[in-house]
Amino acid sequence: MSGRSQILEVARREVTVRARTKAFQVITALLLLIAIAIPVAIAVWPESDDLEEVDLGIVGADVDVDAIEEQLDALAVDRFDFSVVQLASDEVDAALIDDTVDVVVEPGPVLAWKDEVDPDLGFLVDSLLRQNSVIERGVEAGLAPEEVAGLLSPVEIGERFVEEPDEDVAVASALAFVSLMTAFAVPQVFGNLAMMSVVEEKASGVVEVLLSHIRPRTLLGGKILGIGFLAVCQVAIVLLGTLAALLLTADVDLPDSAWSFLPIFAVSVLGGLGIYLTLFALLGSLISRQEDAAQVMVPVFVPLMGGYFAGQIAAFGDADNLVSRILTFVPLTTPLLLPVRVARDAIAPWEIVVSLVLLLVAIVVLVRVAGRLYEFTLLHKGTRIGWGTAVKAMLRPDSVR
Amino acid sequence: MSERLRVKALEKRFGDIVALEGVDLVVPAGQMVGFLGPNGAGKSTTMRSILGLLSVDAGSILWDGDPIGSDARRHIGYMPQERGLYQRMKVHEHVAYFGRLAGLDADIAASRADAWVERVGLSERRDALIQELSVGNQQRVQLAVSLVHEPSLLVLDEPFAGLDPVAVATMSEVMTEQVASGVAVVFSSHQLDLVQDLTNHVTIIAAGNTRATGTVAELRNSSPHRILAVQWQGDAPDWVPPGGAALPGRAGAFTVPADSDASMLIAMAAAAGTVASVSYEPPGLDDIFLELVG
Ligand SMILES: Nc1ncnc2c1ncn2[C@@H]1O[C@H](COP(=O)(O)OP(=O)(O)OP(=O)(O)O)[C@@H](O)[C@H]1O
Ligand SMILES: [Mg+2]
Repeated sequence: MSGRSQILEVARREVTVRARTKAFQVITALLLLIAIAIPVAIAVWPESDDLEEVDLGIVGADVDVDAIEEQLDALAVDRFDFSVVQLASDEVDAALIDDTVDVVVEPGPVLAWKDEVDPDLGFLVDSLLRQNSVIERGVEAGLAPEEVAGLLSPVEIGERFVEEPDEDVAVASALAFVSLMTAFAVPQVFGNLAMMSVVEEKASGVVEVLLSHIRPRTLLGGKILGIGFLAVCQVAIVLLGTLAALLLTADVDLPDSAWSFLPIFAVSVLGGLGIYLTLFALLGSLISRQEDAAQVMVPVFVPLMGGYFAGQIAAFGDADNLVSRILTFVPLTTPLLLPVRVARDAIAPWEIVVSLVLLLVAIVVLVRVAGRLYEFTLLHKGTRIGWGTAVKAMLRPDSVR
Repeated sequence: MSERLRVKALEKRFGDIVALEGVDLVVPAGQMVGFLGPNGAGKSTTMRSILGLLSVDAGSILWDGDPIGSDARRHIGYMPQERGLYQRMKVHEHVAYFGRLAGLDADIAASRADAWVERVGLSERRDALIQELSVGNQQRVQLAVSLVHEPSLLVLDEPFAGLDPVAVATMSEVMTEQVASGVAVVFSSHQLDLVQDLTNHVTIIAAGNTRATGTVAELRNSSPHRILAVQWQGDAPDWVPPGGAALPGRAGAFTVPADSDASMLIAMAAAAGTVASVSYEPPGLDDIFLELVG
């Protein structure tokens, strides 16, 4: 059997055995649920929340409450939600004092307030009164009411910004943050899985039977491929869920940077998995018991945490700061910072190319070194192996084997 | 009978520990060899070297006369002393997986796995997870795993450890069948009676050196000692044969030099007391074992 089909066999085993565990299924379902729930919640809440409810009183005999309410709501667009009540003139003060109404239109016309003017609300009611008196005067001057209404129809006014609108910055920051969380969490979760999978094989004799059939690097390659595939599936399921929920519930205007962002994000997730799964698997081969996992994992957390903090700053603050720029080129932090800076549209094309090339080179080198180290570390039993011992063993050519 | 495997003057040290310093082992096709030795003698280390799981410091391992390589190693079935199975795989799935890793096509691996799961008596647990099986039943799966790719050499490290008599019988049957079909089998064991029931051919090592190899009869005959066992009528007289010594734990039994004159010894015994029965024979395998490794 060729090495390639053995790699696929190993990968397939990792996928089938892990995917059918309850833990994996439950976590995927939970993540998907959260991913869908957030856009849905955002879509459902703000409309009703943003509208300020206003109670308007009108003093007068024949008032068409519904018509006025409609007129006001049309003028207020998405600022106020009006309910209009008819009041007798002697009820006005009491209604204002106990806050059953916010403002009252008295004949005159006069606007009666409790103790202070709400300028936005005053402006709106004022506009309505002016509009109505214009219509009245127009009718008096012999125009049909529809003609007057036509004259009053709103003018379409365009907008132009000389700086990036805040709303786009918010969307870009959100994208950047989501990608940062993904790039931070996914390698850890699945790296841990890779590590445990190596330790499981190493702690039992199964590794001996395995290695009597396949080469250590084949085993390593298959494991990374299989667990990486699982990770990609989980990320894809969650992202597609979010996207679908967004498209169905809200009309989101993706900023232009989103289109260059998505492929970079995908490549970064893959690159991050490649580099971190290999590292975690290698760390797993240094130990023989799961209890020792925590102590060997420390060196991997340093770049992850560093990249995460730098990424936070780049996502919400200055996306172009020096630390972020440097860490973009360090292969261990590239997967965290590259998509953040692309989402913020704060990166030059050459920086993208160079950092991706460096990442690729680093993965190729790491996988080769790991393959050789693995041959030694995998069969070593007992105590934890130091890095020094492992490297020395790797450099020493084997005699008979 | 062709010589499937020959291990010559194997040496291996782990740091300061000398694990092997001169191990020789021959396993012909169609023969079963018991690989014996006390704890720490180097049996597992030798077996792992055969599988290529360790690099050795000196010596050679030949397969059909040529230095062994990864191609030849594909034809080995191996059961490590420290059993290892994936706890969360199903019995049949597990056996088939190792069949595919060993190079079988998926459908052939599946049908062979079926056959072996049945042969080791686990058809009813075919779809059970390994972790749901008892230790003995896991060992049956381990045997199936080592056989699914139809190897031409079986290397079994203490295959009988932890098995109940029924499982021991199954294991012995399967091993005997394999030998009959031309497979070379080498297994280690501390149960010497079991070894003698299964095979005539043994290699005994101690402290990393091969001390003896051959058939059980050859080893017994080549011993420098003989056992003289006398049963007396009435009380045993205070008699010890010349050049001999009482065997601890066996009343009336003595070790004597192999070149003793048996009829003279018997005559001397008869002069010392009334003899009910007497035997004079080479030591048994367990005595040989103690002689060689002690
Ligand atoms: N990985 C290792 N590192 C260090 N020493 C080892 C290692 N493996 C084996 N040894 C040593 O090599 C010697 C031979 O061990 P081995 O396991 O081959 O003995 P064995 O004959 O299989 O014993 P047992 O009957 O107890 O299984 C022992 O002294 C053992 O401590
Ligand atoms: Mg052993």
